[in-house]
Amino acid sequence: MKTELKVGVISCSGEECLGGTISRLATRKVLEELKMIGTVTLCLPLYLAGGEEERNFAKVFPTISVDGCDKLCAKRSTEKYSGKINGSIDVSKIIGNENALDTKIVRNKDLKEEHFQMVDKVASEIVKMISRISPDSYSGKSFRGCSCGNE
Amino acid sequence: MYNKVKVVPCSGIGKVYGLMAREAVLKTVIELCPEKSETVCLAYIVTGDKEVKEKIEGCDCITVDGCPKMCASKNVSIVGGIVREEIKVLDTVKEHKGKKFGSPTQLDADGEASNR
Repeated sequence: MKTELKVGVISCSGEECLGGTISRLATRKVLEELKMIGTVTLCLPLYLAGGEEERNFAKVFPTISVDGCDKLCAKRSTEKYSGKINGSIDVSKIIGNENALDTKIVRNKDLKEEHFQMVDKVASEIVKMISRISPDSYSGKSFRGCSCGNE
Repeated sequence: MYNKVKVVPCSGIGKVYGLMAREAVLKTVIELCPEKSETVCLAYIVTGDKEVKEKIEGCDCITVDGCPKMCASKNVSIVGGIVREEIKVLDTVKEHKGKKFGSPTQLDADGEASNR
């Protein structure tokens, strides 16, 4: 059975700094609002807390990692536990290191217009990267989904 | 040197309960107990890097998880953190039956209120 091409987007969602919040919100924006693209996600820590199914994520879907800072935890963990990624976004390169490493403004409720503009910018970079993925990179394997509810 | 208690949420990206975990922890470490607590990126913990292991190993930790997979608790334990308390958002929301908490992107008023 031919299945629609879907792209996996894995966010670091880092809790220590603004970059993590922006990575999470930009990923959500791509999933929720830009529905012309078939996107799926997975909670990153499920690589270890979940099972084989979750670890197969990057083998099943062409996957893009979205990291809030240059530690690139989502990229490195995906490649370590799941499989090769097709693209990587470092949010700190888009919004600047100082913004990305801000430890005071991290909560959603503290975000201002300028931060939502950063979310839009990052979301737009994710979309650009998705558009560069070749349909040939889809493995055709199946994925039953996980408890995060995004498959 | 006094080690702050590490409070680590799952920040699950697919359901509102992950966001509730995240916002509750950030409220704790930024607003309620900044002198005694801090958070550590769960994604960093997942990498298993030497630096993050050193930061967590042997430390008192509280984890807050949004689903039964218990990602925060399991990953903190894997790197040697001592999980003193496992908070399950799903247990907490039982006290708020019928409420709408929002989405994985944004908490509604009830979601904010239940985090207080």
